[in-house]
Amino acid sequence: MNKKKTMQDKMNRQYFLLIVPGMVIFTIGVILPLLLALRYSFTSWDGMTVEKESVGISNYINLWKDANFRQAWWFTIKFTIANTIVQNVFALLFAVALDSGIKAQKVYRTILFIPCLVSAVIVGFVWLKLYSNVLPELNEIFGTNINFLLFGDGKTVLRGLVIANNWQWIGYWMLIYLAGLQSVPSDLYEAAKVDGASAVQRFFNVTIPMLAPAITICVVGITTGSLKVYDLLVSSTGGGPGRASTSVIQMIYATAISGRQYGYGSAMSVTLVVILLMVAMIQVKGLKSKEVQS
Amino acid sequence: MKKKALSLLLCSAMTVGMLTGCGGSGDDGAANTPAADTVDEAEAPAAAEEADEAEAPAPSTDGEEVTLTVLAGQSTTDAGIEDMIDAALAEKYPNITLEWECTGWDGEFHPKMQQYMQSGLPDIIIGKAQDVNTYASQGLLGEIDATYLDRGLDAARENVTIDGKTYGLVYNALYQGVYYNKTMFAENGWEVPTTQEELQAIIDDCNAKGIVPFASHMVDTWSIGNVTMQFMMNDVFNNTPDWGDQFREGKVSFAEDQAAQTAYSYNKLIFDNTYPETFSTEQTDCDARMVLGEAAMKVSGSWSIQNFLDIDENFDFGIFPFPNQTGDSKLIFEPNIAIMTSAQTEHQDAVNCVLDVLSGDKELAVEILDFTKTASMLKDVAPTFANPSQADIDEYASKGMIVDVTLGNNQLVWGGFQEENAADIAAYLQGDISFEDCLAASDARVGSSSAQ
Repeated sequence: MNKKKTMQDKMNRQYFLLIVPGMVIFTIGVILPLLLALRYSFTSWDGMTVEKESVGISNYINLWKDANFRQAWWFTIKFTIANTIVQNVFALLFAVALDSGIKAQKVYRTILFIPCLVSAVIVGFVWLKLYSNVLPELNEIFGTNINFLLFGDGKTVLRGLVIANNWQWIGYWMLIYLAGLQSVPSDLYEAAKVDGASAVQRFFNVTIPMLAPAITICVVGITTGSLKVYDLLVSSTGGGPGRASTSVIQMIYATAISGRQYGYGSAMSVTLVVILLMVAMIQVKGLKSKEVQS
Repeated sequence: MKKKALSLLLCSAMTVGMLTGCGGSGDDGAANTPAADTVDEAEAPAAAEEADEAEAPAPSTDGEEVTLTVLAGQSTTDAGIEDMIDAALAEKYPNITLEWECTGWDGEFHPKMQQYMQSGLPDIIIGKAQDVNTYASQGLLGEIDATYLDRGLDAARENVTIDGKTYGLVYNALYQGVYYNKTMFAENGWEVPTTQEELQAIIDDCNAKGIVPFASHMVDTWSIGNVTMQFMMNDVFNNTPDWGDQFREGKVSFAEDQAAQTAYSYNKLIFDNTYPETFSTEQTDCDARMVLGEAAMKVSGSWSIQNFLDIDENFDFGIFPFPNQTGDSKLIFEPNIAIMTSAQTEHQDAVNCVLDVLSGDKELAVEILDFTKTASMLKDVAPTFANPSQADIDEYASKGMIVDVTLGNNQLVWGGFQEENAADIAAYLQGDISFEDCLAASDARVGSSSAQ
């Protein structure tokens, strides 16, 4: 018993030593800034002066009155919902299509995956040019009158950004689904076939439940990624026109850095983290309960 | 459950770290790091000293190798001048090397400055004249020696001098106003307008003839902010030079001041008389369309000249101030490149060598001015590029009809105020908010209107 305990102690010490470097870096790089951000959120610090005057919770109270912050949240929520739905649906459909044994699937997979290797900043520039210069030329060529100037109007900018964002990321999430599909045991499908299940029934009763872990990863990943969108917006719309595509992160940056309201910006970021946590928690809890083991 | 809680805590920690810019990004994070937090209160000079001693051994005058760090917040016209400066410096002071960090002035410059304020400023900072007001008041900038300042125009000193000490060497200047297609004006018999009525007559004639009156690129919110300050200068600051100070004292406001409202409303005049796709049009496209004769005028600044002449070196254009309500508008003058130095630099001799090259090398100055298509702020230096609008500038200058926009920019700062107001104006133009809401938003932002 004692020998076993000693062995366990040794193992625990080894585990501890292994995680120490990571924890030190993580603490210095992440935990301390987290605590500092929390501290700054209760001050009126401008990011430049030495004085950090305490203002209590007034930054948080002002957040509720800040129409621009509410608008930034509203845009971010719409962007997130649209992305989560579109990206998951299309990524899954593409994955199923590529898993069906079609010819040249590696070529399709590569084509779909390439955009996610490009920086989001570049993607923003590319789509800005596409919408502003390239696609309108099609109207000239084909004599059509399609409105391609999606970034130029507050009513269409969300649509334009969702298209650009999905163009970039669908291939990435498709690979996750593809990996999930390839790990589904074929005997489950055979059993379903024997039971007389149609292709649609097999998809909803075998594929989807078996893909639940991948769905969890994709939904949480896309949601949190969309909630944090910044680089795509900076290079494409700049948050405009007006404030129509200003995301929460963009507003935090503009407030804290450009606007020299570090305290207020920190309060915004703390609020965002709390909401991110809640969303992630709800999603993980909800989706985990649907997962099944093969 | 404990595992979940721990994982969520770690996720949140990472997210806040990233949001506050401290998770490892070198761009904007230092302000929040524990080291920075400590440094800003006591140890910055010591830290900077140690770092400098490690990297650069001694001042340059004795010929020892020195590397100076330079943060350059550049306008769109400036990218590339660092190579010219390097070449000129290598010729005269081969022992001095400049380690450049070039950023857009409108984007990353101020975040970078905030970062360096915590860890120690670069030896040389290149920004705009209005930055002196922001950073010298924090005690961060070094006084520029009169030897170099005396090589510049006296007019360049006023807005970079605080309490009798000058902290910036203003290198060049931009002019802002309405650029117009001279050929088109001549063909249509239009005279340069001095009143709103005359301007409206040209707009009406343009519309009647199917000509777009104004080229604009409102996809760039900064362009809205820029022209709004032009309007503010002539309709507001022209009559009330301390309007910004009065604004902070609560004596005037956007919601109540007719002149300020008029200045804002000119944006609507432009919007109603420009390309319908202005919110999808970038500056280069906009300037190209102007050169190609698709539009008659463009409210802009000298930065457009580079594009105009790159697209068509024979494009004939002039400039006039955007007419105000009283018909006494002045052409806007903006000191652009302003060279500042760190108060904490350990290499003052080498820094002075750089200032010597910048202020004394006339060939370099002409090369930079020709490249940026800007005006000189150095004595006895003039650009050699053919600037079709120079005759107009000279005429306004001879009549004393030029005003320095730094007056407005110092009172109502760009970052956090003008920039944000421009976004509200864009939202108003898009129909997302009312004009009254737009004005109210500017008033609510009064706390961010000053750099102090």
